[in-house]
Amino acid sequence: MASLISCPHCGVRPKEEFSIRGDATPVRPAPMASDEAWNDYVHVRANPRGRIREHWQHVAGCRRWLVVERDNFTHDVFSVTDAAAGRGGAQ
Amino acid sequence: MAYDYQAVHALDGTIGAVPGQRANHLAVHRATAIAVVLAAPGHGAEAAGILVADGAFEARFCGPGEWLVLSEVHAPETLVAELSVRLGAFAFVVDQSHGRVALTLSGPDAARILANGIAVDLHPGAFAVGRAATMLCNHLSVNLARTGVDRFDLVVMRSFAEAFVADLKVMARSHDLSVDFATR
Ligand SMILES: [Zn+2]
Repeated sequence: MASLISCPHCGVRPKEEFSIRGDATPVRPAPMASDEAWNDYVHVRANPRGRIREHWQHVAGCRRWLVVERDNFTHDVFSVTDAAAGRGGAQ
Repeated sequence: MAYDYQAVHALDGTIGAVPGQRANHLAVHRATAIAVVLAAPGHGAEAAGILVADGAFEARFCGPGEWLVLSEVHAPETLVAELSVRLGAFAFVVDQSHGRVALTLSGPDAARILANGIAVDLHPGAFAVGRAATMLCNHLSVNLARTGVDRFDLVVMRSFAEAFVADLKVMARSHDLSVDFATR
């Protein structure tokens, strides 16, 4: 169930401890990229059904930004990782 | 022009003490030395090692590379300097002695009382003595540390302390709870 999220730092927590901050898949364009690229990045979002990657911030716990991979139809949670881990930034 | 500043505890006049020493007791500490330590990038292990090695510091986990450090040995005025000199460039230290309020809930029903507001499993097998974490209690974020099987330390932000004590009284309504400032 998506109502329980396993924070990699804090353990199993209820969803009320988190703020959902949106799609985690868009990649920030280069500063001088085209207006179209920036418009896509800032405003355009797909709304798929099924397996999605989202930013969840653990605001009432460790306050870290996490990437939650879950199914928005079945509520299955597949993985929860620190958003900085992919960039080697997690301590 | 010179001003005299006076430290006033966040719960002075608003604690709503429930007198006596009942089966369960909530003690509000008057002057606790508290600081937040945030490890410098890549130096979490060094900072943790220094904190654990010194018995004068009680380090409570907040997040990766981040701890609330309480001390009964050092005064609120000196804790930051004591931490900074030991941690050096491994961490950043910020005084929170007047920014947070520390409370101790003890008694045979302590875990049951907390379970009325906290969704984390507090069975000693799941949340063992010595563990600490920041978690949601009703709508407030608190740092909870288990210091004994029936004993918990709670640290909340100063401005939430009054609401938090009121919440705890409601959570303990079906249990016997006394509330007062700690005597030490
Ligand atoms: Zn967390």
